[in-house]
Amino acid sequence: MNISVKIANITFKNPVTVASGTFGHAEKYYNLEEVKKLGSIIPKTVTFHAQAGNPPVRIWETPSGMINAIGIENSGIDGFIQTKLPNFKKIGVPLIISILGHDEEQFVGIIEKLNQQEGIAAVELNLSCPNLKHKTLVAQDPQATAQLVKKVKSLSKFPVIAKLSPNVTDIGEIAVAAEAGGADGLSLINTFTAMAVDIETRKSRIGNFTGGLSGPAIRPMAVAMVHQVYQAVKIPIIGMGGIATAQDALEFIIAGATMVAVGTMNFVNPRAPLEVLEGVVSYMKEHKITDIQELIGSLKQ
Amino acid sequence: MDQIQNTYRVISNEKLCPQFWRLSFEAPALAREIQPGQFVHIRAGETLEPFFRRPFSVYRAQRYVEIVYEPIGLGTRLLAAKQKNDTIDVLGPLGTPFVLPPAGIKQVAMIAGGIGIAPMLILSDILKKKKYEMLLLYGGRTRGHVYPMKEFKDNGVKVYIATDDGSAGVKGRVSVLFDKISRDSSTTFIYTCGPSVMMKAVQDFAVKHQLKGQAACEEVMACALGACLGCSIQTKHGYKTVCYDGPAFDLEDVIFH
Repeated sequence: MNISVKIANITFKNPVTVASGTFGHAEKYYNLEEVKKLGSIIPKTVTFHAQAGNPPVRIWETPSGMINAIGIENSGIDGFIQTKLPNFKKIGVPLIISILGHDEEQFVGIIEKLNQQEGIAAVELNLSCPNLKHKTLVAQDPQATAQLVKKVKSLSKFPVIAKLSPNVTDIGEIAVAAEAGGADGLSLINTFTAMAVDIETRKSRIGNFTGGLSGPAIRPMAVAMVHQVYQAVKIPIIGMGGIATAQDALEFIIAGATMVAVGTMNFVNPRAPLEVLEGVVSYMKEHKITDIQELIGSLKQ
Repeated sequence: MDQIQNTYRVISNEKLCPQFWRLSFEAPALAREIQPGQFVHIRAGETLEPFFRRPFSVYRAQRYVEIVYEPIGLGTRLLAAKQKNDTIDVLGPLGTPFVLPPAGIKQVAMIAGGIGIAPMLILSDILKKKKYEMLLLYGGRTRGHVYPMKEFKDNGVKVYIATDDGSAGVKGRVSVLFDKISRDSSTTFIYTCGPSVMMKAVQDFAVKHQLKGQAACEEVMACALGACLGCSIQTKHGYKTVCYDGPAFDLEDVIFH
């Protein structure tokens, strides 16, 4: 049975990864033998400068999901390269490094530093970053998306994956723009803008006022967007949005995802990515599918 | 512990007092390893409602691991429905435990509000071997929020109680009991756990009398493994996660709101 997949020239031994911001680096907590089985790991988004993150409260539980406004708390690209990257490399699983710049120069700065590193499979551009000219996010503007992807692609020695936001009118249009900019793949979806209100104090539950909704609550919308984008582009898709089980992951694969990422569910069931992997393999056995390529985008009309 | 996530058998689940319950489960390795102030993260149901696990300080870890809780939300109500021989899905041991009192300490003052009593019994189980004078100052809303204090008393802890409505102990907030605490900073050490407003009062008292101590903090929590950075609180050293850097912090470091 072949469950390996490719993005650009990188082969992943299986299609299961973990979404940015949801996988811990605390070695004392994960079982290395199990983590090694993942097809890839996408660590938490790294910015150019260190960021302290947003004031509490940063998360709120919602029906089958959560709102988060962490504010990309991270030690910056230098801190990441010095302290986190060596530990991630030790796991021995292909790494997709999620990065975010607050302007194009910061993206360039991060890429220049990553270019000096070995042991990275690809970079993922978190396009939910400010689009300074239009007061929107880059991911909400096809031209800005194409321009930024093109710039990064011209400099990066690693394949470039663009992560798309669902907070748009037509995600297909953004996907096409990212592909035109030269993206090697697309990750979708990021979180939906969301808020929750404390009706006693009449304040937002979230310190940052609004946050992003993730978890199984958003899964059907994510599946629809993967399907839509699959129709619109030729580059591979990493599908994500509320995947909790192998059945969920299979929906994404059939809708057109080459890889699948378990995100928020890692917080509830740390074994979820491995259960997804095991479940996808048993499904293929049961349905006598010998190559995962037969499944990807196999949705019938 | 071979792995952090395990399924354990419920031994008992009972009402301790009108407001609070105690659940004990069989987890010998966890019981041996867990330290005062550490916690476990329990998935109360098998569905996606409620979505998050629920964190609980360990109340006691002897033959079995015990937690105490107040069945007020969906997660804790599901927990209250657990019966003997049911299983529960538990992550643990998690978090940074309390530091033990430094050399020279003679009096340990535990100051707890409501369900904040949870980490104090396991702490007294450890500290009783060292012959400290132990006090528990406990604040509850009503008589119904007051535990049977026998286990503390059996550990040699002097127990003082205050309730908001005066239905048990003295009337008022737990701060009315602060006069029981020795003001000698070289011999007294504080442990506190409870609502932020109460711990702020404890911190103010400690600062005034130059007393050192530890606070066990709480925040909405998702992963409990230091991954999501969702449970961060403000400290004098910047944002710190309750789940990984805490729950136990130096009392003077936490910025309470």
